[in-house]
Amino acid sequence: MSSTSRKYRRTACTGLALALPLAALAACGGGSGGDTSAAAGSGKGAISVWAHQGQKSEDTALQKAVKSFNSSQSNIKVDLKLIPGNDYTKTITATDASKLPDVMEFDGPTMANFVYNKKLAPIDTYVSARTLANATDASKAQGEINGKHYGLGMYDSGLGIYGNKKLLDAAGVKYPTNLSDDWTADQFTAALKALKVKDSDGKTLDLQETGGYANEWGTYGFAPIVWSAGGSLLKDGKAEGALDTPAVVSAMKTFQSWKPYVDPNTDGNAFAKGRVALSWVGHWMYPTYSKALGSDLVVLPLPDFGNGPKTGQGSWAWGIGADTKNAKAAGAFMDYLLNDTNIAAMTTANGAPPATKTALAKSELYKQGGPLQLFADQLAKPCGDSDITKSCVSVTRPVTAGYPTVTAKFSDALNSIYGGADPKSALAKAARAIDQDFSDNAGYKIP
Amino acid sequence: MTSVEPAHAAPPGPEQAPSATTVTTAPLTRSARPGRKNRDWLHGLLMSAPAVSGLIAFVGVPFGYAVVLSFYNVRLGSPLAPSFFGLEQYRRLFTDPDLSGPFLRALLNNLTFAVVVVPLQTGLALALAILLNRKLKAIGLFRSLFFMPVVFPMALVAVIWRLILARSGQGMLNSALHAVSFGNWGAFDWLGDSATAMASIIVLSVWQGVGFQMVILLAGLQQIPGELYEAAELDRASRWQQFRHVTLPGIRGTLVFVAMLTSVLSFRVFDQVYVLVKGGGLDEDAARTVMYQAVTTAFDQNNIGQASAITVVFFLIVVALTLLQRRVVRPGNED
Repeated sequence: MSSTSRKYRRTACTGLALALPLAALAACGGGSGGDTSAAAGSGKGAISVWAHQGQKSEDTALQKAVKSFNSSQSNIKVDLKLIPGNDYTKTITATDASKLPDVMEFDGPTMANFVYNKKLAPIDTYVSARTLANATDASKAQGEINGKHYGLGMYDSGLGIYGNKKLLDAAGVKYPTNLSDDWTADQFTAALKALKVKDSDGKTLDLQETGGYANEWGTYGFAPIVWSAGGSLLKDGKAEGALDTPAVVSAMKTFQSWKPYVDPNTDGNAFAKGRVALSWVGHWMYPTYSKALGSDLVVLPLPDFGNGPKTGQGSWAWGIGADTKNAKAAGAFMDYLLNDTNIAAMTTANGAPPATKTALAKSELYKQGGPLQLFADQLAKPCGDSDITKSCVSVTRPVTAGYPTVTAKFSDALNSIYGGADPKSALAKAARAIDQDFSDNAGYKIP
Repeated sequence: MTSVEPAHAAPPGPEQAPSATTVTTAPLTRSARPGRKNRDWLHGLLMSAPAVSGLIAFVGVPFGYAVVLSFYNVRLGSPLAPSFFGLEQYRRLFTDPDLSGPFLRALLNNLTFAVVVVPLQTGLALALAILLNRKLKAIGLFRSLFFMPVVFPMALVAVIWRLILARSGQGMLNSALHAVSFGNWGAFDWLGDSATAMASIIVLSVWQGVGFQMVILLAGLQQIPGELYEAAELDRASRWQQFRHVTLPGIRGTLVFVAMLTSVLSFRVFDQVYVLVKGGGLDEDAARTVMYQAVTTAFDQNNIGQASAITVVFFLIVVALTLLQRRVVRPGNED
């Protein structure tokens, strides 16, 4: 390079350096561009709807619901767009609020972050009072922030342990039949030991390891261990002193000690093929498992680590885009979507527990005496996300805009604990990282 | 090289000085009239403009952004205005025990990866190239077989290797070892064991990438005139001596180029780590690379400021290492 061009370069660099910060700050937030506000509108016209593309059966159920809504009345026309599930949350995160649809689906725990980013409008004034009253308490807890509701789900979710009755009886293992006579963590460990004796490869438990735990499954599936040990992911906006208490550490040590009993389940059929007697997983495996095991299938609660059995809850929910100009019509569509017929069609498609009282009462699977009554019983005792007592069961994952960080750090810690790291230092590290992030973001206060 | 001046060159501006890169030998075309300034630098600039503008637009500007962003506390989609952070992000990277631990470990992993992969992959590529540089029936078939893995995207390859390295007795590698050891080999957790996690990734990366370097070296080998080998044979040179004194000098330039390319590529290792972690069972600490850390910080935790600081530090390190490498192995006169 010659001396002249060096001079040019210097000028250019100085110019660039001066111009860049302004450009960078303009490009990266600096208050989310423009103020969004929902307007009630006339309740007529076309509205756009985004939903995640799930299992084929779920998509069909949703498309049918939209079609029947469009033909049932002539004022509102719904235009549905399906977006692949794996990219769905990232899509909403990356879309400017003004470009979002009138009605959109979102994964439960991501809601608070969308409210914080001004992407969702409160739905209380737009959906009918009956729809709100009919939602289960657990579903309402997931959708509520500062006394306002931002989302309601068609279905909920639940965790349990599926057992193979034949194998359990053969090993002489006593197992609980409902929430009230739940097994303790020690009894559960003892059951694994007893099963191991009868097992050809010594692997008696499936923890759905195939996708790893450094993801939402890790948080959803194993945060119940934290809650059941009397801890929580976040307490009053702080993780330190909630996530890294001695009780949680010792519960995680127990979890770690199960690894020798766990079948890696590379093929995904460990339980269905009878290689393991116990499978720790959510409601969604029921259709597969009941087909494979028939009457040998039993559904058991998760073990109790001292603060009562706990489970996760919450699933995909529907809300209204913050910038909609036709919120009345959006609310009317949500009312329709959350009626018994549509919820029955959807939950038949995916085997999930319905998230409204009337649909739950009618559900073949979840009614009292039904094969999945346990999941309904769990959801009937919601804790919310902060008041985790001994007697409640279904805990909502922290409703906070900082949830992406919470889940990332916790699931990382869980993954490394399962891989053999020291639980005490892994949890302490995760707690410190979460608190650091919250302080960087002024506690993620939702205005 | 001397340049040919077009007839209509732009009149020189007042601020132009004679270029430092003036060709000292007499120009071959026509001698410039005395007093007329040499405009080589201008033509050089014009000719390199497409490449330079691409570099500025796609490397320079983003890097400038990254430097600026790393001084701020910036979040993806946060309603809070970015606040000036000064050197805080860098301080955390190097002194905060929670952050610096994984970051320095990631740097070490990257370095390990590069130090092992560069000689291994270059050597293997050379061996394969020599193996395939002969006249055989259907040699094209063999060459394409070895080149095949390069065609598959790394993400796909990593998914397949997940099944190979699975920790259960059903994992392909474990069951193969079980078979050849007459049942004395149990299930070993290749990805979950911190001692073998990085090694597994190295093996899979070399297998996927080696075909590319092989093809380049093969081209280099075919440039060596056959007469040289004939002459060497007449001089009773052994196979090894032929390789030492004919082959190696003949492809020295190519070899240096391949080694440089491999080292730059090996710093970018990301896809396989990302896919294997998502697939579960990978010891994240033992396999985390800097790129992986930057991407997850930016897009899983929405922390753009921190991720920018990571990339800036990494960029500087890679540039320094590349310059050092150029110093040490100066490519010979490549025609």
